[in-house]
Amino acid sequence: MRIVIVGAGQVGSTVVEALHDEHELAVIDLDAARLSALSYRYDLATIEGNGASRGTLLEAGIRNADLLIACTSRDEPNIIAAVFTRRISPETRTVVRTTNVEYLEAWRERELDVDLIVSPELETAYAISRIIGVPAARQTDVFAEGQVQIVEFDVEPGTGAAALIGQPLKDARVPDDSRVASIIRGGRMIVPRGTESVQVGDRVIVIGSPKAAREWSSLMARDRKRVDDVVVFGGGRIGVTVARVLLGQGIRVRLIESDRDRARSVAEELPQARVFHATGVDPEFLERERIGHARAGIFAMRDDPKNHYAATLAKLHGVEFTIAVVHDAVSMDVFERAGVDVAINPRVVTAEELVRFAHDPRTQQVAMLEGDRYEVLDITVRPDSKLVNRPFSELPMTGSVVGAIVRNGQAFFPHRGDMMMPGDRVIVFTESARAQEVERAL
Amino acid sequence: MITTARLRRAVRRETIGVDVRAALNLVGALFKYLSLAYLFPAAIALGYDESPWPFLASAAIVALVGAGLEAVTQGKEHVGAREGFLTVALIWLFAASAGALPYLFSGDAQLASPVDAYFEGMSGFTTTGATIVTEIETLSHSMLMWRQFTQWLGGMGIIVLALAVLPRLRVGGRQLFEQEAPGPEIEPLTSSIRDTARRLWLLYIAITALCALALSVVAWTGLDGAMSTFDALAHAFSSVPTGGFSTRTRSFEDFGAASQWIVAVVMILGGANFALLYMAFVRGRLRMLGRDEELRVYLALLCLGSLVLALELVSEGEFAAGEEAIRHGVFQVVSIMTTSGFASADFALWSPLALVGLVGLMFIGGSAGSTAGAIKVVRHVVIGKILRRELDQTVHPEIVSAVRFNRRPVDERTVRAVIAFVLLYIGLFAVGALLLTIDAAVADVRVTPFEAIAAAASTLGNVGPAVGFAGPMGSYEQFSDWSKIVMIALMWLGRLEIIPVIVLFTRSYWRA
Repeated sequence: MRIVIVGAGQVGSTVVEALHDEHELAVIDLDAARLSALSYRYDLATIEGNGASRGTLLEAGIRNADLLIACTSRDEPNIIAAVFTRRISPETRTVVRTTNVEYLEAWRERELDVDLIVSPELETAYAISRIIGVPAARQTDVFAEGQVQIVEFDVEPGTGAAALIGQPLKDARVPDDSRVASIIRGGRMIVPRGTESVQVGDRVIVIGSPKAAREWSSLMARDRKRVDDVVVFGGGRIGVTVARVLLGQGIRVRLIESDRDRARSVAEELPQARVFHATGVDPEFLERERIGHARAGIFAMRDDPKNHYAATLAKLHGVEFTIAVVHDAVSMDVFERAGVDVAINPRVVTAEELVRFAHDPRTQQVAMLEGDRYEVLDITVRPDSKLVNRPFSELPMTGSVVGAIVRNGQAFFPHRGDMMMPGDRVIVFTESARAQEVERAL
Repeated sequence: MITTARLRRAVRRETIGVDVRAALNLVGALFKYLSLAYLFPAAIALGYDESPWPFLASAAIVALVGAGLEAVTQGKEHVGAREGFLTVALIWLFAASAGALPYLFSGDAQLASPVDAYFEGMSGFTTTGATIVTEIETLSHSMLMWRQFTQWLGGMGIIVLALAVLPRLRVGGRQLFEQEAPGPEIEPLTSSIRDTARRLWLLYIAITALCALALSVVAWTGLDGAMSTFDALAHAFSSVPTGGFSTRTRSFEDFGAASQWIVAVVMILGGANFALLYMAFVRGRLRMLGRDEELRVYLALLCLGSLVLALELVSEGEFAAGEEAIRHGVFQVVSIMTTSGFASADFALWSPLALVGLVGLMFIGGSAGSTAGAIKVVRHVVIGKILRRELDQTVHPEIVSAVRFNRRPVDERTVRAVIAFVLLYIGLFAVGALLLTIDAAVADVRVTPFEAIAAAASTLGNVGPAVGFAGPMGSYEQFSDWSKIVMIALMWLGRLEIIPVIVLFTRSYWRA
């Protein structure tokens, strides 16, 4: 695949690192020093110039490119690069990084002619909400704009799962809008037929609505209670987006921001959040507001060392679970070594999201489970697929499971009588080895 | 040498920073058009075979004074933001005098004194409905209709009317509109303020027409023997603007149940936000009604008040439990809270609890953007939320939160303005009540403290009736002239929501 990348900053270089092996890359940036640093490390073409100019795009070979990834730190040049690309070369697919929620909304309403928009704030927020949303989960990921969630659990004795254990799946009371996509027993995958049952020591993979995922979580969790009270440190764009996503899940959010005006505008933006004007590192304040009672602390201030200090202090005050947003890649190890539970780098999260698009034209998203043994694909069904317009009960049983169908933007969880229609997006669980076969069949 | 120069500069800085001539020019220009308003009562006079001369003479005077004022101040057509306050304050003083002139010319002994006539004129234009006249039925048809008509003209606002029909206010009209419009903020219906004013007036006319029609139907079908077509029109003119003038001394007591229910509904409409009514009923966005926080509180307060009053009336034995008690409860609570001031019964004779409750309702008022007076529901809601936030902040000193109204954050300037308004309102009420008490003692009029309080609350809130001799069936005639002047000022301040008037009395307004 020929890929043009606009922007060689932190996101851009992460993208290059992920793609340089398999694809032919051309990187555009205004800064010659960044470009030469990249070209010493990887084999790629570099073009010094403005990505939002047609001349530069043509020079980078946009006419023959399969994909444009516009990931400078500024929204408008990214969008303009995509708009020009659509004009010059309609076949080239475009992926744009933007921080502005308004562009994201416009794109969802199909008012922006771009194939994919990725927002670092939103990706970070989703990643954080995934981690704290289902505490018992080993791993979790969301699909179809958050309508579908896949979760991997360990079945342990003495949990709410006891009601399920040993019951044939067709009789077991599993939460609505969800299904068991796979059971992994002793390292082997078992196709979850109706007669199969869940055993202690199994690992189950569930596909369902976010609500169902939470119900599963409370079934599977041993003693860890659901995280329902979170303190966000820092009211920047990431902090606010995280707060908004968590509030949307019914979690109580308190947000601490040290700038008065900023705190005020956050309070206006998020009516349900409790916003404090404080530094977050004042022990007296933490004590008075009982910050230690929160089940999780999210540190999204601009400054890595400050996040680090605040996270450590919060732990001292009794916050059980700390998640830090890390801006500098080298801080990751420092954070995790120093006892912060999870460190998330928005640029890496963004780059992963951008890279996903480079896989297959019809595959919107991929998630890997158990290392890379299993994959969950979000794929659009071809009209001429042999599998469409036939009820699931008539389809041959293979190891792959269609966990959810997205039709007209609305996700639902199919039963035996439902069928796939041309143009549906389906969320499929499969063994990685069979992923290509699945893509071909659909 | 340097000192002299500095002194000279300091002296020069003391010059007036308000272009009084420009303000007067605009006042004159608007005032002269008010002469057209007399054509309506003049026509009524001809229809009833009465003398049209009081109106024609008034028209001539108003036209001459207006045109004269405009001519004298010629060359100063531009009215800036500063002059807006003065213009709006003055035009309402002038309008009240335009309302008073026919009373003086009518030769009726009840309104022969200039202060009395001016009181009646101010009470009309500000839609207060407090009257000097003791025997209302003795007035001629044309004079009765003029009283009602002044309320109708004043209800939606003189500036709003001028904006809607006069080209002169095309520029700078918005600022004047804001000074006059009731409530802390105005919501323009369209991008043009002039167009907004037009639509509001058309809606106002439509509701008035519907009200007149409904009351006429009651009269024609014989449902209410006391109602006539003349009364129907007259009461439509005073109920939509929540005015309260009636053609009868006994206010609405003589009219039947059907008429009372119709007027109650119309008063509720008049006390609602007209911009909201427009969006809901003209643009068909009915869902906005349910989502409006102020409307919900407004209706809830009306229901609660009606219920409590009805129960009190039954328990005091005023009425038997049933439609009658409910009707009087609803009518009186609606009438007082929307600052109309009609009475379906002489509530001045009711129990102390009912009276205190009704006087309390005088402070609530209708919605922002309505024709009602007083503090207004929106300000009460905002004050409540401010208090809740203050309490929250006492416990959590670092908390930052926005006061929200209709889910939108209210900016802190508006929050301060609301607090300032309510403080000024209460302050003026207290000063007014005190002045009335002192003057009553000096002039040897028998006024109890509660009566003084009720009269001050009633005139400042543009309600109308008070208790005692100034009760719903009585009149303000017994007050001394000084008391009447105090109440004229209260009505004027209340109608313009205090701030545009009171800034005129500050030094910083006049200084350059």
